[in-house]
Amino acid sequence: MSQELVRGSIFVDLEKYKYPDNENETLKKLQFKINKGEIIGVMGRTGSGKTSTLMLLNGLIPHFFEGDFKGSVIVNTMNSERYRVQTLARFIGLVMQDPETQIFGITVEKDVAFGPSNLNYSKDKIAKLVKKSLNAVGLLGFEKRITSELSGGEKQRLAVAGILAMEPEILILDEPTSELDPAGKIEIYKLLSEIRQKENVTILISGHDSEEMLNFVDRIIVLDSGTIAWEGKPEHLFINVNLTEKFGIKPIETAEITSALSHKKILDKENVFLNNDKLIEYLKLNFKKSNEKYSEQEKLPLPVHTKTVIEVNNLSFGYRSGESALQNINLKFFKGEFVALIGKNGAGKTTFSKHLNGLLRPTYGQILINGRDIKDVSTSVLSREVGYVFQNPDHQIFSASVKEEIEYGLKNMNLPTDELNERISKVLHFVGLKNYENRHPFTLGKGERQKLAVASILAMEPSILVIDEPTTGQDWDGTKRIMSMMNELHKKGHTIIAITHNLRLAVEYADRIIVFSDGKILLDGTPQEVFTQRKILESAFVVPPDSVLLGDELNKIGFDGSFITIENIINRLIEKLSNVNAN
Amino acid sequence: MLIDYYPSNSFVHSLDIRTKALGFLVVTVAAFLFLSPIINFTIALVVFLILLSISTPLSRIKKILKPLVPIFIIMLLITGFTYPAEKFQLNMNRQVIFYLLPGESIPFSSGGLFYGITLTLRIFIMVLASTVITSSTPIEDIIQLMQKFKLPYQIAFVIATGIRFIPTMQKKSEMIQEAQKARGAEFGNKGIFGNIKSYIPVLIPLIVDSLRMSENLAIAMLNRGFGAMKNTTNLHEIKMANRDYAICIIELFILASSFWANSLNIGVL
Repeated sequence: MSQELVRGSIFVDLEKYKYPDNENETLKKLQFKINKGEIIGVMGRTGSGKTSTLMLLNGLIPHFFEGDFKGSVIVNTMNSERYRVQTLARFIGLVMQDPETQIFGITVEKDVAFGPSNLNYSKDKIAKLVKKSLNAVGLLGFEKRITSELSGGEKQRLAVAGILAMEPEILILDEPTSELDPAGKIEIYKLLSEIRQKENVTILISGHDSEEMLNFVDRIIVLDSGTIAWEGKPEHLFINVNLTEKFGIKPIETAEITSALSHKKILDKENVFLNNDKLIEYLKLNFKKSNEKYSEQEKLPLPVHTKTVIEVNNLSFGYRSGESALQNINLKFFKGEFVALIGKNGAGKTTFSKHLNGLLRPTYGQILINGRDIKDVSTSVLSREVGYVFQNPDHQIFSASVKEEIEYGLKNMNLPTDELNERISKVLHFVGLKNYENRHPFTLGKGERQKLAVASILAMEPSILVIDEPTTGQDWDGTKRIMSMMNELHKKGHTIIAITHNLRLAVEYADRIIVFSDGKILLDGTPQEVFTQRKILESAFVVPPDSVLLGDELNKIGFDGSFITIENIINRLIEKLSNVNAN
Repeated sequence: MLIDYYPSNSFVHSLDIRTKALGFLVVTVAAFLFLSPIINFTIALVVFLILLSISTPLSRIKKILKPLVPIFIIMLLITGFTYPAEKFQLNMNRQVIFYLLPGESIPFSSGGLFYGITLTLRIFIMVLASTVITSSTPIEDIIQLMQKFKLPYQIAFVIATGIRFIPTMQKKSEMIQEAQKARGAEFGNKGIFGNIKSYIPVLIPLIVDSLRMSENLAIAMLNRGFGAMKNTTNLHEIKMANRDYAICIIELFILASSFWANSLNIGVL
């Protein structure tokens, strides 16, 4: 036992833990060890017990959340049951998911000083700690900034700094990247590996970011139904797409492609790769000789632009503070299109979309929906034509039953009762919530609540659907479910406008991508057209999805074609490689 | 937002919270001592100039005053019609400006009008003066003032955190309203009861969300070691400087002269 009792180490042997109000155990037979200085990734589905596991480590369970706790948790040589959370907080820092509720100070420096001042450190020491931790998170120079005016990414870094200022030996982060755009995500992971090098702290991070987990953590713990389902090096997890599928973890694209090929017996099992370079290297070595000319793949027929459903002319919008948010936007959307709006946080995607149903009104310019100028049309009337699905279902659910929740929008439309009931059962069937009519919405899981939010909009049968960041904060299962639901809606003939950071969704489903940057439209075209404009994308901080980058490399070594989706690549490789094998 | 610290290097910002609190007291007492709208207007103008001197954006002042306008109008009408002209000391205030009904019934007296103006100016002064304090004083100072009055740190902290979250809750409530509007909700045109009913879809998600947030806040406080030690470091002790004493003397002088002027029957109606 003595070997575990090192500072910075964690030793968990939990028989079970059950929240006071829950019927079932949230954690059971949970055993793991973490050594000083390791970076550990904690992965698994939403609801698999990640947050509870992390709250176990600084004593929030069983002190704050009492419940039924049996077992022992030894962190930093301390038994968590014997110390108060406040005392453990000196050694074990926990950064939670929502930075908003972790910021107490008005200015950045005062917020960072909050932790150490609770420990009654001297003023000099606190000043040094504030400086050091702001430096560590890259916020030096932000001392006097007002916390409520920081961007999402800056708030997240500030939350980390606030914890670092207490000089923890173990740093725990619960899904710190779920609300960030792709660039912000990578920054957090880079930050953590820097902190580990400089401070020699043990780090645990939970999240759904497969690529970053693969590149930045030493070891991954996968949770499933409250217990450890898998534990090991990230490359061993991600190389096995059956495993990631089983645990609801998003696969690495290269692994997905090479596994599909090995499944078809085109590649050997040992040639399943995680990394594009390795695959390219392998292809170069083994398939160099093939010189046969590639016949241009049949291009997808361009969608026929039958009817303009939205026309935006010279739209500009400025906030009251004078800062301009949108500048001279001219766009047309056609019936039945699936359009993805991409660009980094704050680029103007949401501000633009809110004009389409009148939540925001243009400072200058004109918007026509189905040929009608919407200047004097209220949002409530527009909601019948333009459905707007917000990201957070909890910002709209208020009823005591699923049925009443959906009824709300329909009642606002003054529909007769029989049509109302017909629409409710139809929409519940479509989203997969049949037989849920009388359930209380708050007893539903997060995924089901989101389905309900979508259903409540769909029931109003708008022909145009705007969906704001549908996959943000979702696990892989949720992401897939939403992507297929959007695809089905598209097939049913809805015009879909999706605001998203999920470029995989954009390349696989959208027939048009619009790139926003600083309130302007930078690019507008098919996925193929948009993703060839690398320089422009770079200026908008958009990194093309892995499949597009791999497609580039494949083109360079003679697998010419237009590769956008994973499916494109798999098909082309199968075609090409089976030819070579036959020769 | 009434309570919103606005950082700046102005002179008022550099004053101690106690100096500012005394100033607030003096201004309020003076406003209530004098009935004359001219004196109250002068006080209001001075407070307004002070507010401008601390570089508060005009848009913010507008936002604070806008909801008060209907109250002001109602007050003017009520006082104008209800104050009998013969109650006033000065002759000019006994005049009747017009009658609401023919046959000289329900008179609107000039004195009543002036009295109404004074009442609205008093509210105006207090609102502006408290805005001066809240926008020039960080919450930390206000907590310390509370502690000087022997309020326990925990309670003072909870009050300050509550204040810090008002803008956050406002933002949430806007987001929820937008989400419900997108489902066809209409706010503000159904009469009082209709309106209360139409806000239920906003209130319930807001309450549920604030409950969740307050739990997260409690957790976050523990994570930051709140309550780990008996004593906490006072990062910024409030302290009276020489300029504070100077200003306080001026404030007391104004207070004394106001009482003196009042005793001489100056500023009556």
